[in-house]
Amino acid sequence: MRKLKWTIRIILLAIFGLFFHYVLPQHDIVRFVSTSEKYTDFSVWNRIFYASADSGNADSPSRDVTLFHGFYPNGNTIIYRNEDTGWIWPPYFKFDSADLHAEVRNLVSTEEAPKWASITHYGWRIPFLGVYPNAVAIRPVASPDEFIIPYFNIVFFVLLAAFLLFLRAMWRQFRERSVDPVLESASDKWDEVEADVSEQRGRLGRWMGSWRRKPRQ
Amino acid sequence: MMGFIRLIVAGFLVLTLIFVCVSLYSRSVRRERLEKEWDANRPEGADDARRSAYVESGMAEYFSGFRRRLVLLVYVVPAVAVAIIIYITN
Repeated sequence: MRKLKWTIRIILLAIFGLFFHYVLPQHDIVRFVSTSEKYTDFSVWNRIFYASADSGNADSPSRDVTLFHGFYPNGNTIIYRNEDTGWIWPPYFKFDSADLHAEVRNLVSTEEAPKWASITHYGWRIPFLGVYPNAVAIRPVASPDEFIIPYFNIVFFVLLAAFLLFLRAMWRQFRERSVDPVLESASDKWDEVEADVSEQRGRLGRWMGSWRRKPRQ
Repeated sequence: MMGFIRLIVAGFLVLTLIFVCVSLYSRSVRRERLEKEWDANRPEGADDARRSAYVESGMAEYFSGFRRRLVLLVYVVPAVAVAIIIYITN
């Protein structure tokens, strides 16, 4: 039982951890080398990882997706997609993918004269599903070692903790004021009913007893 | 545009649920505080009727007061947050 409890807890923690890791913004320091447009036919496997068509356009099962090709300071490649999230999930309310494209084009550089940039993104690169993280914002940085403080995530988790504590307080208040009194009166009622039943049983027993043969005297 | 309407409708429903919960909670906390206040220094020879009159008058004050309006922030804060996110992202 104890093991089962812990297994469920760990699975829940993993699900929430993965969820937040996917959805919350992260910052990478990257050097961009090119951008491209790729005609993409979404499948049931990867549709969920893509956002929507540019805001104001109809969403169709296949369309062009803009990709940014970059390198990490350690030489590994990374590809981002550039999609509007629009009014839907995840709630980044990004409508300016075309402007972001221009900013990235402006920062395209060579290995000899690198222009490093901090790119804010969410999502994962999953090569075997053709899935890319979605770039949200870009800002040039002086050196590839710059440390970026994740202000948004700090505020987000503080607010999340406050919200959960508030929910707990609400639940406790509800139990103390609304559930417990009802339960108490219900258990009082139950005691009464039980007393009543045993009384009835006593009467019935006496009646049955009256039919029993009386011991001969 | 459909996305925007969907956001407004779904957001309104979720926030209304939260609004109802928060206002019930706030009311309950207030009532409990009034009851405890009364029990802490109850006047000599006071009966239950006077206790409930005290609590009800305190609740009436709460209903006409400013603090109750604060619960409306449940609608305002997310709307402002969305506006800020839109401004920062774009």
